[in-house]
Amino acid sequence: MSEESRYILMLAAVTFGVTVLLRALPFLLFGTGRKCPAAVTRIGGFLSPAAIAMLVVYCFCSAYQERDFAAAGAGIPEAAAALVTVGLQLWRRNPLLSICCGTAVYMAAVQRIF
Amino acid sequence: MIKSKTLNAAFLASLPVLMGYVTMGMAAGILLSGRLERPDTVGWAFLTSASTISGALQFAIVDWISRRTALVEAALLTFCLNVRYAMYGLSLLERFRGVGWGRKAYLIWTLTDETYALEVECKVPPGGNPVNYCLAVAGFNHFYWVAGVTLGAWCGRLLPFSTRGIDFAMTALFLVILTDQCRERRNRLPALIGGAAATVGGIVFGSANMLIPAMALMLGTFLVLGRKLEAEARV
Repeated sequence: MSEESRYILMLAAVTFGVTVLLRALPFLLFGTGRKCPAAVTRIGGFLSPAAIAMLVVYCFCSAYQERDFAAAGAGIPEAAAALVTVGLQLWRRNPLLSICCGTAVYMAAVQRIF
Repeated sequence: MIKSKTLNAAFLASLPVLMGYVTMGMAAGILLSGRLERPDTVGWAFLTSASTISGALQFAIVDWISRRTALVEAALLTFCLNVRYAMYGLSLLERFRGVGWGRKAYLIWTLTDETYALEVECKVPPGGNPVNYCLAVAGFNHFYWVAGVTLGAWCGRLLPFSTRGIDFAMTALFLVILTDQCRERRNRLPALIGGAAATVGGIVFGSANMLIPAMALMLGTFLVLGRKLEAEARV
């Protein structure tokens, strides 16, 4: 098995393990009828939006990890595409439309302009 | 056996998911085929989609493969991405109580955003079994997702145009999830804290090492401000 295949296989195992564990967690902890403590529900409610916001920032940061900031467009393609995506989602509430248009804007910007 | 009436109702309820999963899945599959040009790409698309069944993750995996992201970092990112699933189970505890372990394991394994929404709604016809209805919905959605991703990976290599920049689809997906979450007022401040913690982590430690310090900062803030945040959310 090639090095790449082995890496993908391990990556698949890790993502599968973490995802399924998260899905199973409430059933493992509270399946037997034990009450869920208020603090857990409280922090849990904050966690989801905070983690997604964290990922958005991570995406923008890692897009410039191996490139020069100014030469790669200084964030303009990302900002334009993000505006289109969020704007469309607020307006039409159609995830597919927002994602496709945002991505198209980004692809046009990095392929034609920068 | 699941009654055909229950099966029909589950299929009808799953139709919107069919549209969404096949198109999103195909986009993720196309992305994978563009980054991973190997004869067995379709096989990897099938394996990853069938095992994990997670939309945003399917996009992220492609990025991680091409960057050779360290497995620990991938595990942390997966946690961030999917921690919401842990909240879903809390509201399904009652419905799945007493279900045999095999069926319960399948219901838990296949718990995606869309499947969760349909299972909470649970529009089971009169006389039908709610658990069977949930099983059918989960099965249909599972199938749609795998079919979409695999099909996308298979036909992706035939696309006649450059796919450079298509990886923004993942960022766009996160932005869409975030936008929808921020429609609810109580999610706004936590989202701001998460974003700020990540920004601080990125500036101080660089994008390759930002996640652990950012998560620590975020959790610390929640522990300190927990009650205040909750009071704020109730206003």
